[in-house]
Amino acid sequence: MILFDRVSKRYPNGHIGLHELSFRAERGEILFITGHSGAGKSTLMRLILAMERPTSGKLALAGQDISRISNAQIPFLRRQIGVVFQNHQLLFDRTVFDNVALPLQILGLSKVDIAKRVTAALERVSLKDKIDDYPADLSTGQQQRVGIARAVVHRPALLLADEPTGNLDPRLASEIMGVFEDINSLGTTVLIASHDHALIARLRHRMLTLQRGRLIGDEESPT
Amino acid sequence: MSAKELPRGEVQGEKPQRPKHSKPAKPTRDWRSPLHAYFEAHRTGLRDSLWRMARQPIGSFLTCLVMGIALALPMGVSLLLSNVERLGGSWQRAAQISVFLDLNIQEEQGKQLQEQITALPDVVNVRWIGRDEALQELQQQAGLGEALKELPENPLPSVISVTPREIDKGRLDMLRSQLAELPGVQQVQLDMQWVERLTAILKLGERFVFGLTVILIVALLLVIGNTIRLAIENRRTEIEVIKLVGGTDGYVRRPFLYMGALYGVGAGVAAWGLLAFGLDWLNEAVIDLAGLYGSDFALAGVSFDEGMQLLIGAILLGYIGAWLAVARHLRELAPR
Repeated sequence: MILFDRVSKRYPNGHIGLHELSFRAERGEILFITGHSGAGKSTLMRLILAMERPTSGKLALAGQDISRISNAQIPFLRRQIGVVFQNHQLLFDRTVFDNVALPLQILGLSKVDIAKRVTAALERVSLKDKIDDYPADLSTGQQQRVGIARAVVHRPALLLADEPTGNLDPRLASEIMGVFEDINSLGTTVLIASHDHALIARLRHRMLTLQRGRLIGDEESPT
Repeated sequence: MSAKELPRGEVQGEKPQRPKHSKPAKPTRDWRSPLHAYFEAHRTGLRDSLWRMARQPIGSFLTCLVMGIALALPMGVSLLLSNVERLGGSWQRAAQISVFLDLNIQEEQGKQLQEQITALPDVVNVRWIGRDEALQELQQQAGLGEALKELPENPLPSVISVTPREIDKGRLDMLRSQLAELPGVQQVQLDMQWVERLTAILKLGERFVFGLTVILIVALLLVIGNTIRLAIENRRTEIEVIKLVGGTDGYVRRPFLYMGALYGVGAGVAAWGLLAFGLDWLNEAVIDLAGLYGSDFALAGVSFDEGMQLLIGAILLGYIGAWLAVARHLRELAPR
């Protein structure tokens, strides 16, 4: 599903975001990326989303080389990916329905299809009853679940989550991780950047550890 | 370490979980789908722009009004100029040529000469003024009635008043020479200085309107550009999210283009209304003034065609202004 082959990212100011990073993640896998601030977690996410280009190496998603993807192809690449942000990035002037419907509107689905899929996605995150509410009326955990529903509503092959539990208490963090596992059980590859070691250890999934842009650990089920 | 050498997955012989994958979302596989998606995206863009403008009615109204005033100014000056032109009679009439005939020319010969002049290509119209008529006119105009009666005979020649087709100095000179060469013509009088003044005034008026139009169009593009820039700033998060979930530049751009065009509609209607109301308001005073001079002159208002041109021009300007603003800022809208 994801292939990083000696991928490096060096910024114009000399800072090294990633150094010859190599790993692969299979379809349907759930994978944690961990490391301290500046380790390269966000750079890795940004490279997968084609927000940045690698300086060298090969980066492929579902067999497609995205290291040299054209600007015009980027939106179509991103339609295969769902993204969950630490700060939710919800649109506060739109209802929960409209927030979740956004990727489907971009795909040009009919109103009926959009309504069906949004309802299903909200059901999956247990927020169907909040469909007409505005994000400001929801708790932080609920907002994060709306963000997850928006990320998976178009059934992406890959789900990226950047510190999705960063602002949540341990109980909510566990709940959100449960939602990710539920989505993963449907076959979506899930890649989560997090530095919450306790939570990662409890969930027992594969974990890649980065330090200063280098891969220093690849554990199947950390203890 | 290369990806192939990684100590997991296929290398370790541990196959990851491969549950049945859920089908990715795709529009219905139907030839109408891309077309449906296209029109749906436009409908959504238009509705979204209308909704956003309606949410800020005062701001939207003021923007349309500012744009409308900017449009109404050059159009108004242009309309006033054409009205002034009408008031002074046509420019051709102002450049009339007087052909004075020999005193001994008989009326019948004069009429033949008139027909000859009428046939000239650069002549629009001719008017015969006989000797008696000329004397009468002089008596009325100069108030010299009694003094002229004392004269033993009418000293005035017959005159053919010629209206040229165009006010072009070169062509008028040529026409004057042609007329002077005709038999029985004693003198040809053309007030070239007046013609030149009129031409210069006309040119000045046209340049003034053109300059004003250019300046105000630039101002209008800046107004719409700034309005769209602010709208982009207000929606930065939304744009970043749209781009991250696969929205194309066209998808991002569309509501702003509709917004520009809608501001154009508002501005066009405002300008049309301002001009119609302004000219109507001015007209009352103009009719009163003209009445004092025994004239039935009235200002011509904005015709339907002119109004439609104004409206379409305003929509185009709004659209172009929005396009320029979005094109300039779209690069800055990369997700962060």
